[in-house]
Amino acid sequence: MIDTPSLKLSDVRKQYGNHTALGGVSFEVPQGSIFGLLGPNGAGKTTLIRMVAGITGPDSGEIDFFGNALTRDDVKHIGYLPEERGLYKNMRVGEQAMYFARLRGMSNEFAEKELRGWFERLEVDGWWDKEVADLSKGMAQKIQFIVAVLHNPKLLILDEPLSGFDPINAARIRTEINRLRDENGTTILLSTHDMSSVDELCDHVALINHGTKILDGPVASLRENARKGKIDLKFRGNLISFTAALGAGAILHSAESKGENIHEVVLGLPTSIPIEQFIKWVASEVDVLSCSPRIISMDDVFLQAVKNSEAS
Amino acid sequence: MKRWLIVVGREYKTRVRKRAFIISTLLGPFLMVGLVALMVFIAMTTIESDSKVLIVDHNNIITYTLHGNDGARVPSCSECFPPRDFLEYRFTNEALTTEEFLESDYSAMLELDDGILQSAKALLKYELSVPTKVKSAIKRDLGEAIERLRVKNESSLDYETYKRLKVRVGLVTQDVVTKDQNIENKSGIGFAFSMFMFMFILIYGMHVMRGVIEEKSSRIVEVVISVIRPEALMGAKMMGIGLLGLTQIVVWSILSWILFMGFGFYAESSGLLLELMGDQSSQLAATDFITYIESDSELGVLLQVDWAMMLGWGAFFYVAGFALYSSLFAAVGAAVEQESDAQYLLIPAMLPLMFSYMVNIFIMESPDSTLAIFCSFFPFTSPITMMVRLSVGVPWWHVVISAMILVVTVYFMVKFAGKIYRTGILMYGKKPTFRELARWLMYKNR
Repeated sequence: MIDTPSLKLSDVRKQYGNHTALGGVSFEVPQGSIFGLLGPNGAGKTTLIRMVAGITGPDSGEIDFFGNALTRDDVKHIGYLPEERGLYKNMRVGEQAMYFARLRGMSNEFAEKELRGWFERLEVDGWWDKEVADLSKGMAQKIQFIVAVLHNPKLLILDEPLSGFDPINAARIRTEINRLRDENGTTILLSTHDMSSVDELCDHVALINHGTKILDGPVASLRENARKGKIDLKFRGNLISFTAALGAGAILHSAESKGENIHEVVLGLPTSIPIEQFIKWVASEVDVLSCSPRIISMDDVFLQAVKNSEAS
Repeated sequence: MKRWLIVVGREYKTRVRKRAFIISTLLGPFLMVGLVALMVFIAMTTIESDSKVLIVDHNNIITYTLHGNDGARVPSCSECFPPRDFLEYRFTNEALTTEEFLESDYSAMLELDDGILQSAKALLKYELSVPTKVKSAIKRDLGEAIERLRVKNESSLDYETYKRLKVRVGLVTQDVVTKDQNIENKSGIGFAFSMFMFMFILIYGMHVMRGVIEEKSSRIVEVVISVIRPEALMGAKMMGIGLLGLTQIVVWSILSWILFMGFGFYAESSGLLLELMGDQSSQLAATDFITYIESDSELGVLLQVDWAMMLGWGAFFYVAGFALYSSLFAAVGAAVEQESDAQYLLIPAMLPLMFSYMVNIFIMESPDSTLAIFCSFFPFTSPITMMVRLSVGVPWWHVVISAMILVVTVYFMVKFAGKIYRTGILMYGKKPTFRELARWLMYKNR
């Protein structure tokens, strides 16, 4: 059943002494999606991720994994890359990767075959017998990424997967994340602060703050909602006659003069009016130079949602 | 393969192949044997002051009273007790009381009973233990006197008879104050056992703590406990490192035994043994190392100790004591993020260990005192102090009760440490207070 979410959280709560880490969080992670888990520091992301990874359990609420309650047996279908990560210093690279593979229940032969494949793909072949102490930070992170995905999990949890990578390697890891979803159908739960990677990678997001979810949904519709029909328009002509031409439908948010009779304005346009029709309207009064629906970054969505939730 | 077994394997393998471990495991026995040899050498060559020994010949066997000379007693064989620069003899047929002996300037009193000609065993009483060199001289001199007497009593002397008459004198040493015979040596072996116990529990317990800290500070622990329960990880880690300690103990025991036997073989074949035994042995046609050890008043104790019992119980108390302390150290490791932060938690954890090590010196002297009995029952001291009591003999039910108390304590300790561990390994940012640690014990299981 493709419709069964790979992960479904229902009213998940966790309390540490007097501190409420999670106060009833619910959302669904669709199969084969890259799901961004966003939120400021201390929002409860780590607590949530640890529960999904099977490290801790909720005080109350339910976590379903492909339609059934999450159990310890599911760990072989889950891959986990914690945020600040390390490797055992007294083990060699290959030996260490094999250790984690075997802990996940892989046989020696299969683990080694898969590992060699991954080492080649990420261009780290030849590191098999390297001492971990000799690896640079970026090199070690590649190994950790491989360790997390080696057993071909159905659900891959990545906590800040791109932090610490140089742009080239970050791009390579991004490619791998996309490939895992597209080729293997892996669902990826990605926790991050880096909004550019959300823009580039995620299909869905959930935003949590102070232990509660304040926003979730597909990235495209969240952006659309936040945009609220804002349009950037540049024209040559008279600002007053332009304003008069707007009529009742559109709202002028701001206007800026860019020299001789040239203006840049931000407009609010109800979604009921198509942009093409709107341009035809105003073209009779002014000379439209450019017009584009405003691009809302996830950064803006994020800030706006946090601001709204703190205000209320 | 079970997951926890994979963890045990990793903990063991990554440490057992380390150069430092291999070197210390292989060189340890050589160092120890070297140290013991050095001590024996020093004991045999240095004598602080002249010794004055009173020979009490109750039945006038080797001495007689010289008439007309204030009734002084002299040895029947005039050459047998030659004056030496470190040893002077006096003779009597009436023993001094303990008080008289303590007041006198004699350093030792050698008592001969009427069985001396047959048994060739005499009782050497002392207040401060007698140097080995003095004891060797006494044995040599007394041996010669007895042999001469035996020869005199024989009507004819052929080679067979001569061989039968040869004698090696054995001395039973006794402290005049405590009346303990040879006990100091036996408890010395128990003390050595307990010292190793202390050392191994501390060293390998620290390994556990460091391992926990490494996994916590590198966040590896999060990956591992997403697969295996934290308590199982802790247990597997303790087991792997405990096995490492056990490996070292076994290798040390085997190597020491080989060294001991090897030295014996060398001593026998090179003539060193004859040298060790002094000129009394020149009368012996053949002797072997074990017989020599057996007859030596100091070394003989090596053969009197019940090694199987000591090693068996030693293994038990190591395993249980290690489990007790290493679980405590694991909890300490889980509560902190780096080793330097662990000090304030380590001190209370190590206090009973240190205490049992120090109190051992007292227990060695009086292994049946109330304190000794208490310490050998109290689970935090028993793994170390019981070894001393075991070496000198202890009622079997004392050992069984002590073992049972220990096992029950280990069970609760591991559970208790597991709770702190489980919470601690996921906590970052601040050093927990003791109150917070107590609160962790209350957290729900999952």
